[in-house]
Amino acid sequence: MCTPRLISRQTVLRAGLALAATPLLRYAPAHAAPAEVTEVAPGVFVHQGRYEVQSPENRGDMANASFVVGSEAVAVIDTSGSAVMGEDLREAIRAVTNKPIKYVINTHMHPDHVLGNAAFKRDDPIFVGHYKLARALGTRADSYLTANKQMLGDEAFAGSEIILPTLSIKEPTTLDLGDRELLLEPQATAHTDNDLIVTDTKTDTLFLGDLLFSVHVPTIDGSIKGWLALLEEIGNRKAARVVPGHGPKTMELPEALEPEQRYLAAIAADVRRQIAEGKTLAEATKTAGFSEKEAWKLFDQYHVRNVTAAFAELEWE
Amino acid sequence: MPYSFKSLARACGAAALGLSLVVLAAPGASAEEKMWPILKEQAFGDRYIREDDMVVLETPQKVEDAALVPLTVRVPPWVKGQPRSLTLFIDNNPDPKVATLNFGPAAGSVGERSFSTRVRIDNFSHVRAVLETEDGSLHMATKFLAAAGGCAAMQAKDPEADTADMGKTIVRTFEPAVDSNPIWSAQVMIKHPNHNGMQLDINTAKFIPAHYVKEVTVKRDGELVFTLDTTFSISTNPNFRFTFAKGEENNLDVVIVDTKGEVVEAHTPPKGS
Repeated sequence: MCTPRLISRQTVLRAGLALAATPLLRYAPAHAAPAEVTEVAPGVFVHQGRYEVQSPENRGDMANASFVVGSEAVAVIDTSGSAVMGEDLREAIRAVTNKPIKYVINTHMHPDHVLGNAAFKRDDPIFVGHYKLARALGTRADSYLTANKQMLGDEAFAGSEIILPTLSIKEPTTLDLGDRELLLEPQATAHTDNDLIVTDTKTDTLFLGDLLFSVHVPTIDGSIKGWLALLEEIGNRKAARVVPGHGPKTMELPEALEPEQRYLAAIAADVRRQIAEGKTLAEATKTAGFSEKEAWKLFDQYHVRNVTAAFAELEWE
Repeated sequence: MPYSFKSLARACGAAALGLSLVVLAAPGASAEEKMWPILKEQAFGDRYIREDDMVVLETPQKVEDAALVPLTVRVPPWVKGQPRSLTLFIDNNPDPKVATLNFGPAAGSVGERSFSTRVRIDNFSHVRAVLETEDGSLHMATKFLAAAGGCAAMQAKDPEADTADMGKTIVRTFEPAVDSNPIWSAQVMIKHPNHNGMQLDINTAKFIPAHYVKEVTVKRDGELVFTLDTTFSISTNPNFRFTFAKGEENNLDVVIVDTKGEVVEAHTPPKGS
């Protein structure tokens, strides 16, 4: 029974890899139009994603995507959720500068932040990520591609692929863009096990990726305990501005973190109490954290899943 | 259609995290119907199975994570005597017979008895619980779940954290609210990846080898509650909630064996701890 399904998975994957290895087959966009970006600080541009799940209409435009322009080179920080969105982001960069796109940095593994990488292959950049990003993407590539193809539809998914990092960050590392440097800091497991914080030191801008959600309900795919601990640490930092993975283009510390801290703390408190009372996972998913329902968009899509993840983690305390 | 559009949309939302994925076309009802007679024949031969209220199967209304789907089976108080066995099936999983429990004298013969675990669902599928009661008759409850991708999905959110304390077990008993209740409940959980051999790593282009818990034996004060034969359809960090007949000390001894022959023994913590 299982053999046909295994083959189909491998076929999908091989098709993806074959596409990656064959430049002639690369998707050429019919109508790439520059993505809407805002210069939030000198040389720092942010495109704001929509508070939605993947659909043919939004073409995977759900996460914020940014780029930083130096005197020598450009670095892209997250590439949005499809190759066609990546193309639009690339158009936006080209509308601002012709400097080489030297680095494509992914703040973590999620498809809405990495599937646009494919649009930058022609620039032959260094793809940069947390040292656990390659493994995380490697084991999820098949399911990510299949799920996103399903949700985006053939047209919006066309050309999307998983591109593994060529530079893995294990220790804090700086990348030189000419007159400015980016500081890359790999984090312990929080939103995922491969979160990377990027700082543009020149403008004191922190790119938090999905360590920071605003308006869009947070999604737990790492460790609720690790995430709460990291948020406390980030709250003690000073920065001119932070760029969330989902939310407005820029926010300020520490207020930016507070709703997310409140949300995660509410889940943790409710789930811990229910575990102590001997409640089951199924029972917890019906009540834990529901006091937060009105505070977030996409709550119905992700909240029960968050409680499930939190329960499966906290029951081992 | 046995599932609503809404539940599909929810499942798609869940798939944004990539851990589950959704097949928009449900497998043909005919394929589904073909599967069960074969499974039934293999497990029970030509024995008659009643679909009645002697066994109740609870599943979530919407599956949010196909790699971690909670299932509960209840045997209502009107089922007299000690059940002989309980078998769980997920028709369209690669190994459809998910778990078989053979009950012993400490399983309990009165009151509401129950068994809960968490499973992976690889494709849209019927889920079935077949109870063999004391008189040897078979009773079945069936649910349909619209979820997919749980078997191939890599569930470990933090592989290091999971392997660091692999084999760690927790055994808890829960005293009933009413002292006279003859049925207690308990929980057994073990840190184990339960790799099913279906998780592909494109860095190595290899499947992560199968390695899962295959046998769990639970005794109360030395008397058998059940032996459980399981497969890789059980989620990472296998988790079992069950009831047992109240005894003198109510100490549980648990033996867990995995496919590499590793044996883990665990017990309820000493009283007063």
